[in-house]
Amino acid sequence: MDLLFLKSTKTIKFQAFIISAALLFIVNLFFMEDVIKEIAVFLVIGTLILYLMDLMKFKQINPVSMVMNVAILNAIVLLIILVSQHLVQFRSSNFFNVIVNFLYVLIVAGSMSYLYIIFKELYFLRQKKDMSTYFNTMVIFFLLTALSTLLPKSLDFIEQTFFIVSIIIMIFNSVKISWIAFVVKKEKIYLLILSIIIIVLMISIANSLKEIEGYSEALSKFVLLLMIYGGIYNSILFFTALFHLPTADAFDRKNQEISSLQYFSTLITQVLDFSDLTDSVTDIALKICDANAAWIILREEEGYKSIALKNIGYFDSNLLNHYLVTEKNIFDVNSIKVFTLEKFQDKGQLSEKYHTIAAAPLKVYNESKGFLIAVKKENMLFDEEDRNALNTFSDYASVAFDNSRLVKESIEKERMEKELDLARDIQMRIIPTKLPEFRNLEISSLFIPAFEVGGDYYDFFEIDENKLGFVIADVSGKGISAAFIMAELKGIFESLSKTISTPKDILITANSILKRTLNRNTFVSAAFGVLELKTGKLNIVRAGHCPILLIRDDKIKNIKPTGIGLGLTFEGNFSDNLEEKVIFLQQNDMIVLYTDGITEAKNKELEDFGQESFEAVLLNHREKEVDEISKNVIHEVTMFSQHNLQHDDITLVILKWKQKLNIDGDREWQSLVQQLNNQTK
Amino acid sequence: MAEFSAATKQSDEVSIIYLKGFLDAHTAPQLEAEFTNLIEKNKYYIVVNFKDLIYISSAGLGVFMAYIEKVRENNGDIKLVEMSEKVFNIFDLLGFPLLYEIYKSQDEAINKYNETKKIN
Repeated sequence: MDLLFLKSTKTIKFQAFIISAALLFIVNLFFMEDVIKEIAVFLVIGTLILYLMDLMKFKQINPVSMVMNVAILNAIVLLIILVSQHLVQFRSSNFFNVIVNFLYVLIVAGSMSYLYIIFKELYFLRQKKDMSTYFNTMVIFFLLTALSTLLPKSLDFIEQTFFIVSIIIMIFNSVKISWIAFVVKKEKIYLLILSIIIIVLMISIANSLKEIEGYSEALSKFVLLLMIYGGIYNSILFFTALFHLPTADAFDRKNQEISSLQYFSTLITQVLDFSDLTDSVTDIALKICDANAAWIILREEEGYKSIALKNIGYFDSNLLNHYLVTEKNIFDVNSIKVFTLEKFQDKGQLSEKYHTIAAAPLKVYNESKGFLIAVKKENMLFDEEDRNALNTFSDYASVAFDNSRLVKESIEKERMEKELDLARDIQMRIIPTKLPEFRNLEISSLFIPAFEVGGDYYDFFEIDENKLGFVIADVSGKGISAAFIMAELKGIFESLSKTISTPKDILITANSILKRTLNRNTFVSAAFGVLELKTGKLNIVRAGHCPILLIRDDKIKNIKPTGIGLGLTFEGNFSDNLEEKVIFLQQNDMIVLYTDGITEAKNKELEDFGQESFEAVLLNHREKEVDEISKNVIHEVTMFSQHNLQHDDITLVILKWKQKLNIDGDREWQSLVQQLNNQTK
Repeated sequence: MAEFSAATKQSDEVSIIYLKGFLDAHTAPQLEAEFTNLIEKNKYYIVVNFKDLIYISSAGLGVFMAYIEKVRENNGDIKLVEMSEKVFNIFDLLGFPLLYEIYKSQDEAINKYNETKKIN
């Protein structure tokens, strides 16, 4: 047969088989020469083998079931041969007989072809080297032996030679059974019995080949050779299985460990998705102990819940969970436990007749975080092997869960750090990088962000040539949300300071905007001031912020007009309670704006730096340049809280009024001082 | 940070939440849970006792803002009592005395509730 045919499609092979079968039928019908009949039989077997090989190519190969097939096939063939001994009359030309003969030959040829294919598959199974040369040599000698039957009787010695060589090659080939080591102990015992049955069957078939021989010598030779090969193969199989039995247990254990390791490696790659992970855990649990259903009980802060249910509904699993937790107290056990459900009272409510339940703890740091549960139906038990497998596997699963948690935490941590970076970035863009400059006003500003962005904000607005607006604010809350509110604040104050000139109206409008946009539990404390640069008249309002400090000579005055924090109350209530203070600045007066990051800076004993220390530092250094004063304050605060993490942003803005000493200004100033004095009285 | 605890006691129809320790962004959820619990049970006469509270941050103050509307809609109130001077100063700076009734003693707050009930 040429290669083209070997490679052709299944249908073509099938057609070839049909044609050769038809040919055989015609030959039978017209009672032709023996030689032609033999060739027709060969064609049928040849095409059938090729067709069947294609047909079975994609099947999963399990050696034990294949040996089983051999046994069944042999039994059928023997049965047919025995029954047909009285039915088939090959020399009859009766049409009915011809059909029966034909079908008989076809069945025998078909079974033999199938048998041949199974032997071939078994031969190549688990072979490490390419053994096809040996097998092909054997097949060629099979063919030669069969074909040599066609030679005249005087040349019988040729046939016999081929026959003997075939048998030698058969023995040589049968010794190489390598798959036997890989089947489990149960299957090895099974194989022992099967191989004996097959040997008996094959001997019986070989002994009742007379009928077939009468029809076709070549076919009977082929059957005989296959039977001999099968006999030899199965004898060797028998002994190999027998010799492997003592070590079967150890081999099984090793095998199981290896497959557990494989499962484990599938688990550790699934750390990114917790539900995927739990799904594969229950999936594998089902497989390793042949359970009918599996799921995971996950402990929660209050109680527990079922996840990753396999072959079971929530209702059933909840009933069983309740039983395990309340009556069997599984949360107190530390290793796998198996319970029967015989005494389970709500058994009737289950939709399936579950009989035994196994619970293996999922431990993280020796604390059971949950349980891997597997149940079996009636008549099935968790044997020692199942328990061990489940226990080992639950350990693997625990490790996988822990990994998954760690990965999640590190992702979360990274996400939070990214978020904080972003928040800091926003904050640094919002606060002014350049301070306005005036001849009669020294300004110093200092800002130290906390690790978690604290929501401090300050800004200056040059309303017109004569008016400087400034704001200091502290958003409640931290991180990215605080940073976004700061951005909103900057927008609000930037635009309001262009259209509204009194600080009170600015804060009233800001409050009504923020009351609409802020969460109910978020608010902003702020102080807003407008300073007239020609006169030193300062209008200031405070909405829940720290007092504004006025340092005049060697005294500090807390300026604390009434005012509710922004976003805390509605418009009417806010504006009714917002008091605006007017201060007329004098030579070297200082206005100090700050956030509670300074006064609430904490030392190791969690004591506050406090208002008094703050004021003391300010007074001690009041004669110095504003930047120097700032530095000294921060130095003191840092020294005080050096052993404690900075929890909140620190903001310090100092304005120092340097009276313009021209005559106009002086006169104006004198009159304003008069006013101020009148006010304070 | 140091610890915090919040516990609720019932005195007739008035629920008193006792606070202890440091109330900040990390411990605020505990107090939120107490408020949520009371509101679920339709208990709107609430007194918060600050006697053992050492520190309150802006996140802690936010908790009171989150529930006051809901409570007042149901004719109840959150009254704050027995604050230390330091804690009071924090509330005072933000203008809370204008938004909440703050009393020196717990009994004063409870009496206040009883009076309003009589009127109703």
